[in-house]
Amino acid sequence: MTVREALAGVRWYLREVSGESAYDRYVEHVRREHPDEPVMSRRDFERWRQDDRDANPRARCC
Amino acid sequence: MDLGGRTMRQRSTRSIAIWTGVAIVGAVSWGVIALVRGEQISAAWLIFAALGSYAIAYRFYARWIARKVLGVDRDRATPAERLDNAMDYQPTDRRVLFGHHFAAIAGAGPLVGPVLAAQMGYLPGTIWIIVGVIFAGAVQDMVILFFSMRRDGKSLGQMAREEIGPVGGVAALIAVFSIMIILLAVLALVVVNALAQSPWGTFSLAMTIPIAFFMGFYLRVLRPGRVIEVTAIGVALLLVAIVLGGVVDDSSLADEFTLSPETLALCLIGYGFIASVLPVWMLLAPRDYLSTFMKIGVIALLAVGIVVTLPLMETEAVTPFASNGEGPVFAGALFPFVFIIIACGALSGFHSLIASGTTPKMIEKETQVRFIGYGAMLMESFVAVMAMIAACIIEPGLYFAMNAPAGVVGDTVQSASQAVNGLGFQISPGELQAAAASVEEDSLVARTGGAPTLAIGMSEIFSGATGQGLKAFWYHFAIMFEALFILTTVDAGTRVGRFMLQDTLGNVIKPFANVSWKPGLVITSAVVVAAWGWFLYGGVTNPLGGINQLFPLFGIANQLLAAVALTVGTTLLIKAGKLRWAWVTGLPLAWDATVTLTASYQKVFSDDPKIGFFAQRDQFQDALDAGEVLPPATSVDDMETVVTNSTVDGVLAALFAVLIVIVILDAARIWVRVIRSGRPAPTTETPFVQTEISAPAGLFPTADERLAPAGAGNGERFMRTEEETRAGGPR
Repeated sequence: MTVREALAGVRWYLREVSGESAYDRYVEHVRREHPDEPVMSRRDFERWRQDDRDANPRARCC
Repeated sequence: MDLGGRTMRQRSTRSIAIWTGVAIVGAVSWGVIALVRGEQISAAWLIFAALGSYAIAYRFYARWIARKVLGVDRDRATPAERLDNAMDYQPTDRRVLFGHHFAAIAGAGPLVGPVLAAQMGYLPGTIWIIVGVIFAGAVQDMVILFFSMRRDGKSLGQMAREEIGPVGGVAALIAVFSIMIILLAVLALVVVNALAQSPWGTFSLAMTIPIAFFMGFYLRVLRPGRVIEVTAIGVALLLVAIVLGGVVDDSSLADEFTLSPETLALCLIGYGFIASVLPVWMLLAPRDYLSTFMKIGVIALLAVGIVVTLPLMETEAVTPFASNGEGPVFAGALFPFVFIIIACGALSGFHSLIASGTTPKMIEKETQVRFIGYGAMLMESFVAVMAMIAACIIEPGLYFAMNAPAGVVGDTVQSASQAVNGLGFQISPGELQAAAASVEEDSLVARTGGAPTLAIGMSEIFSGATGQGLKAFWYHFAIMFEALFILTTVDAGTRVGRFMLQDTLGNVIKPFANVSWKPGLVITSAVVVAAWGWFLYGGVTNPLGGINQLFPLFGIANQLLAAVALTVGTTLLIKAGKLRWAWVTGLPLAWDATVTLTASYQKVFSDDPKIGFFAQRDQFQDALDAGEVLPPATSVDDMETVVTNSTVDGVLAALFAVLIVIVILDAARIWVRVIRSGRPAPTTETPFVQTEISAPAGLFPTADERLAPAGAGNGERFMRTEEETRAGGPR
């Protein structure tokens, strides 16, 4: 494995784990499953995603 | 697919050699830990014993449970695959999900419990952390994750209601709510004890609020979704805040940030209320990014620090407090109290809420329950072992001066030195003063709650690698990191408690069911905050010491929830016709119930006022009636505080015990019915659907997985009989 590949792996992991890649997944999902529906802008998507957490709180353990 | 016989043989010979080696290293390490007396051993032995045991348990026991007992099926589509909506249900890479799951289960618990249990020496706690996780904690997490996954991610409460009955369901609901309240109170108390009279710590933690606001605004308005860059900025600001804390500490501003425990408790209660009614994006979401990053970072740093510096254990393997039960940190003997005090890290019922919440909706392959459920819990257990090491590498005299309540050690270095000598350990007033000065704190006497002790241990480890000059920085870094993620838990936990309350009230008063209805939101938030705030304030003002009084109650509540989870697991195994494997969850359940019921019994009925809540109540009430003031109380108000707190705590301990008995008896009724009928009960699983995803089960793909990806269509493999499919059994 080259250094470049390792760095790409780290970047991939951080983007996935932090949820930064959620928008890309969402766009891909809508294009694939619901091609007729409009795709939200990134700003709208992130807003919607954050507000969803207000309605569905997640526990953090001790 | 067919591998050459020679390759197979070579591989198996190599595998046998490797696992024999792991077993020998583990066994030798255990031998050293358990048998060496009268001389100090290196912390490395604890690390090796833990890692060796985990490796063997993961490779053999967990694999056997996954394959034989649960019957994970790599051809069966998971809810994430079937219900993929790119939101809560979505197939997630196993390594990413492991990170999410670990971040959700691991918090302050595995760091605090072992520190308190260190009063009995490192041996009892370490054995329980390692053996407990292998046979109880990790099993519980994996089994609940599996059963929830087979039911589209149903929560523990729903499963208890559907599989056991309404009585069991209601008991589970009460258990979850009460553990939440006690948990929040105890964690907030840890923060209060860490920050009281410490301007450096208080300033740094206060700065996290504007930092989080800034991050929230950045993510909402400036650059939506750019989590990594905003977290990097936040962490940098956080480090600046810790350094600035040192400056504030030396300046005239110090007085402004020197707060009494009572003031801090009120500040936390106010913070908890405001934070939980603000939208998530403002405070909670950015705090969550920060605290998760800090949590993983510090745990990794601690592991590296221990391995690099290999400190010696200063504490004895077993102290006299293990048998005489007179330890100052918490009262009671090794059995049952070590198993109560160390919950997170060995067996934590709270995890079953996570394992039946978001994780089962995101898991990509059934075969991954072992890596995520069992594996993440092993990692948490390792964190607990490291916390135990950090607590045991400091001078025992200092440990007891810090962890005994003020009622025992007083509040001066002289009184503390004297009290510690009385306990059978040595530390001079000068040494105590020097220890406090080395981390630039006014005093370390009676800094209970575990966080300051852990911070001292961590600062010794880190400064062993970076030089003594940075000791005060590392101490406050550790304090800040614990306080940061405890506050995140307090905010998130208040919301979860509120949500449960809204849901329950919504059945009676309709508008409450709408979780965004503002008046309902404010009222239920206030109720939840008032509940934990009451325990917090009572803990802060209790002359007997809040941690001493409340921590056992928290442990009992957590183990009660574990009993509910293990009961649900056992019930589901029996219902699926797997009675002969039911001991896998049944034995840990029996142990957990024994420990928890014994502890509750002692807490309720013991004649010793140090242990029994009601004996304590009577002692202080009688003195009050006689017009006396009993030490450590110094006024009539103090006396009344003790009487009220002991009564409430005693009632709670009794309630928890009754709940456990109800859940187990109600479940036993079902077990008997199913066993008598002689055949499996109708399944509540979602029907089998063929998967189209292929992904490895563990961290690294095996040779077989590389050759024949799961779900790639291996004809005869999914020729299953109707009955096997229904029972979900192994093929």
